Amino acid sequence: MTIRSDPENNEARALSAMASVNGQDVLEIGCGDGRVTWLYADRAGRVTAIDPSAKQIAVARGQLPDRLRDRVEFHAIAFEDFAAASAASAFDMVILSWSLC
Amino acid sequence: MVHALEEIRRLLKPAGVLIDIHPVAEGTPIEIHQAGRIELAGNLSVPQWCTDFEQADSALAEVIQRGLFAVERETVFDSVSHYDTAAELRTEQMEAVDKFARDARSADEGKPHVEALADRAEELMRAAGGGAELILRERAHISRLRPT
Repeated sequence: MTIRSDPENNEARALSAMASVNGQDVLEIGCGDGRVTWLYADRAGRVTAIDPSAKQIAVARGQLPDRLRDRVEFHAIAFEDFAAASAASAFDMVILSWSLC
Repeated sequence: MVHALEEIRRLLKPAGVLIDIHPVAEGTPIEIHQAGRIELAGNLSVPQWCTDFEQADSALAEVIQRGLFAVERETVFDSVSHYDTAAELRTEQMEAVDKFARDARSADEGKPHVEALADRAEELMRAAGGGAELILRERAHISRLRPT
């Protein structure tokens, strides 16, 4: 099965043009299997990526390269639960990643 | 979603930024490409998805109107998926219908539409012969919002 998702890099270009993630503390909501995470994680300071699907998070963790292990965390959790357990003013950037919460 | 946006505002630092990416509430064209020729198999348009995307637009409009966020920049782009076979498209989109369905009824409503499109795409791929490619072009809205 060969599905190539956005080989034209339209999404990566649109994301880069929208904001710089350089050194930023990023929360990504609805990360799924990490498809969008990989577009910017190399440049971010720290990434917390969440999705309610444990299956999708397992896929993302399985693809996490060694070079990003100290900076990128994936959590299988619904946003409302994550938010309830999180302190205010914790992130420089939040990415709502094809997520309708 | 309005409550989620209020929570996002709380989690952001005062100078932080929200990047929202979500699909535009319109049909997604499914095209067959071969040797420079493009044929349209149809438009993927699952009613519940369109409703959800419109609700996302409304929620964003509400928090902007209430002064919680201000839009600094926005644009649209096409996220393009390439498939070698109609079977790949069918499997992926049927999974998407299940994944994003609010309940069993909305999943059942979306599946016949996906099946019909995949059937049509399969027919056109067969007629096109070898080397044809199936392309799904999903338009998405991306915006940068600042807490105010």
